[in-house]
Amino acid sequence: MKLAWPRNPGEGAWMIPAAYAGLCLFSLATLWSVTEGIHGPYEVMDPGVPKSIFWRQVVWVAIGWGVLLTVRNLPLPWIEEASPFFYLLCVILLAVVLVAAPVVQGARRWFDLGPVRLQPSEPAKIAVILVLARLLAAFHAQEKRLLPVAGSLLLAGLPLLLIMREPDLGTSLVFIAIWIVAVFWYGLSWVLLLSLASPLLSAAFSFYAETVAGSPWPWAIYLLVLLAALTRARFRLLENLGLMAANLVTGLITTFFWEGLHTYQQERILTFFDPARDQFGSGYQAIQSKVAIGSGGLFGTSYLQGTQKGLAFLPERHTDFIFSVVGEELGFIGAMLLVGLYLVIILRGLQIALEARRPFSSLLAVGVVTYFTFHVVVNICITTGLMPVTGLPLPVMSYGGSNMLTSAIMLGLLTNVGSRSFET
Amino acid sequence: MPHTRAVQARILRAAILLVFGVIVGNLLVMQVVKHEQYESQSLENRQLRTRIQAPRGRILDRDGRLLADNVYIADITVPNRCLGRAGPDSTLEKLLTWLRLPRYETLDRLAGEQSAGRPRLTLVANAAMPQIAVIEERGRELPGVKVETRSRRRYLDGPLFGHVIGYVGETLPGEIGAEDDPDGYKPGDWIGRDGIEAVLEEHLRGQAGYTLQEVNAAGRVVGRREVELRPVRPGRDVVLTLSQALQDSLGAAMGGNPGCAVALALPSGEVLAAVSAPCYDPNLFTARISTKDWQALQTDPGHPFLNRLTQATYPPGSPYKIVTSLTALQNGVADAGTAFAPCGGAYQFGNRSFRCWKREGHGAVDHTSALIHSCDVFYYQLGLRLNIDQLAVTARLLGLGAPTGSPLRGEAAGNVPDKAWYDKKFGPHGWSRGVMLNNAIGQGELLVTPLQMAVLTGRVATGLADLKPVFVRDPAPAAAPPSRPLPIDAAHLEWVRRTMRQVVDMGTGTRARVHAIEVAGKTGTAENPHGEDHAWFVCFAPAILPEVAVVVILENGGHGGAVAAPVAGRWLNAYFAQKEAPEVVAP
Repeated sequence: MKLAWPRNPGEGAWMIPAAYAGLCLFSLATLWSVTEGIHGPYEVMDPGVPKSIFWRQVVWVAIGWGVLLTVRNLPLPWIEEASPFFYLLCVILLAVVLVAAPVVQGARRWFDLGPVRLQPSEPAKIAVILVLARLLAAFHAQEKRLLPVAGSLLLAGLPLLLIMREPDLGTSLVFIAIWIVAVFWYGLSWVLLLSLASPLLSAAFSFYAETVAGSPWPWAIYLLVLLAALTRARFRLLENLGLMAANLVTGLITTFFWEGLHTYQQERILTFFDPARDQFGSGYQAIQSKVAIGSGGLFGTSYLQGTQKGLAFLPERHTDFIFSVVGEELGFIGAMLLVGLYLVIILRGLQIALEARRPFSSLLAVGVVTYFTFHVVVNICITTGLMPVTGLPLPVMSYGGSNMLTSAIMLGLLTNVGSRSFET
Repeated sequence: MPHTRAVQARILRAAILLVFGVIVGNLLVMQVVKHEQYESQSLENRQLRTRIQAPRGRILDRDGRLLADNVYIADITVPNRCLGRAGPDSTLEKLLTWLRLPRYETLDRLAGEQSAGRPRLTLVANAAMPQIAVIEERGRELPGVKVETRSRRRYLDGPLFGHVIGYVGETLPGEIGAEDDPDGYKPGDWIGRDGIEAVLEEHLRGQAGYTLQEVNAAGRVVGRREVELRPVRPGRDVVLTLSQALQDSLGAAMGGNPGCAVALALPSGEVLAAVSAPCYDPNLFTARISTKDWQALQTDPGHPFLNRLTQATYPPGSPYKIVTSLTALQNGVADAGTAFAPCGGAYQFGNRSFRCWKREGHGAVDHTSALIHSCDVFYYQLGLRLNIDQLAVTARLLGLGAPTGSPLRGEAAGNVPDKAWYDKKFGPHGWSRGVMLNNAIGQGELLVTPLQMAVLTGRVATGLADLKPVFVRDPAPAAAPPSRPLPIDAAHLEWVRRTMRQVVDMGTGTRARVHAIEVAGKTGTAENPHGEDHAWFVCFAPAILPEVAVVVILENGGHGGAVAAPVAGRWLNAYFAQKEAPEVVAP
């Protein structure tokens, strides 16, 4: 085993398991700290998170390793064959959860299965990666047409819509990221991809016009610029018209969608643009998290000594905001170590995708890379105040069985692909 | 197409590294460049969840006069861990010097509090202004030391209402709720220990509130913002049926003698006044009663903790003759004119002589004059014509032999013996008909509480079978006002009432007379095996359409007619006087 960045195919099989092990230890150490009270010159307060959280995570780490090793050794063709059925099962569960699950804080997201809760949106992420890989792999040899792309959009869009209905805004965005990267890896051209993304831009401008500007002019100006750009692109007339229509529709839908959002969702989104707006709601979370990370400094307040987490100002500090605790107690150095572990997984995953022989394996690896990149980037952006608070866990680190199992399966798939780079 | 894929991979890797670069750059700015700004925010920006004790509900009398409220006092408290740190520069040493506290006494007391598991120790309870000023001025040198205001219960009439209102005490370790239970009792909370305070605890207690406050590095509240997590819900007030003025009069009428007196409004059964003397001062308990005071109260021969109203039992004595008479009338054994062998001062039964209280004897008496003059010899002979179960039935109808259902704790049932009871006590047939002689005049194994006797008087006066004592107006009692008539012939009850009127007019109870109001009553002198006789007087007034029933018992007082009847008379005078000229009470 060579401890160097692998140059040749077949090397570096140790990297992902090693990074995963590092993250598991990181998670346990942080959860131990979170569940300790604070022993400073202040009154000792209840840490708010029971110690049992730590011990449960120990169990999840053990289960995670079992799952990773199992998935790693499953035959890939078998996984490829099973993916549509798995996808179907996940979509059915997502539909059922909307009807049958208990309402918790205004949303239906989980099935309560006694000691554990099943959140169908987690396996759905795996299912969409698998099914997109299978669909696009089937068409990889042919000329790149829009038909498989449209099909993949449907496959990714269905669970996305179901999860939006729960409602779970943050999770549904993962599917968009997975789909975009998948069709890009499939070989869709840049210009086409940007054109396809233009309706999203239209929605963004429409939203800005609706909430911040208070007049439709920003959106109208965007449409004019788009029109000008389209005259210069070498598209057929029908394609031009279709794109304009799509931009108009998404822009208008955004307006109606905004009206249909729950007040708390509107609040969260607005608070992002103006954190002072609600200092004790979601803006408060963002402020407290930023203060925790910022006060960590270069070397942190040292392990177990964070005061923000102990005084219970860091909300959800064992789940979505666990990065703030790392930032506070271990400082910039600790945060870099953590980010480094994720980068090992992501960059090595990209290399595996590149080296994979079979299109399915390659698309699968890219999907996993997208999942990790999206989750890590968005989670850290939320905790550092660069994005609105939407409730997205940090893979492996955040406490919770669903998060751990999803991450373990993803990494199992990735190492599975990596171990078969030689096979045809 | 390996070539294309390599290009794609390069683009993706570049995008990923770009995004991570932004994250790392942002972290670098936050944690290294702007670190000090965030750190000072962190130091300033600590918050503390503070519990706000709900003010306990007040207790008011029926006219809206305050009987119990809360006053706010300041305590100087130190963190628990303060005690362990010795040394001349320690916070505790500074405090002992600056506040001029007796060193060893204070340390001893703090050690005691510490072992009780309190997170903060009370260094000075009910601190004086100069002491508070010291803490405020030199706060910087005294980390963790706080001036905490807390409410203390105040009983405005002290011992006068003691046994009805009861008192509050600080929560004991076993009563303290779980740490995470927002509604649980916390150390330092008050909890009702006796009387109405205990019975209506949930009503009076209210619900603690919680706020989130910003504190600085020294634990001092600095924040301009305070988030209310849950508002305080103050305890609700309780309005008693008792009247402060009437209670005062009753206490005065008793003249400080040990015993008990109670006045019921008729026909509602509302208790207007209830005095049990002697009584402790409930204010003693709200200020952490000292061991010495506690022991003194415990060993006081006057038993100040005994609520004579409901917890003490006495033989009913002659007022019980009302029960005997009613039983005889109901069972057709006697009528108003029935006469037996004349009273010669004693009655011979078997080889025992039973004495009449009047040694020289009453001479020839009929049933009516026997009740008026309380002739024991007549009642001995009447008793022999009844059986014990018949007597017990009437006694129970009138409210004896079972708790009256008052909300006061530890109410005694008393004792109304019947055949089964005697069989159990002396063995079947092990007792003679001689017990009837004692029972007929309210002696022997009979035991009643003063409150039961008030109920009996009220029931006789109104003819209502479900008349019960009511102590509280708000919250409104669950039971409906009394309405069910006694299953006793109205003519018989009327005869008893008429005769009781004559008791006060010309019989043994003349000292209970009230100007311009006719009073109906019955005296009693209950033999007490432990000492002097207890003096009883039961009465109601006016004799027609009665408004109040009054029962007085003075322990070891002697003759009821001589001692207890004047107490009732004095109170009735005050009652009717204040009724004629009602005092205006500010709401």
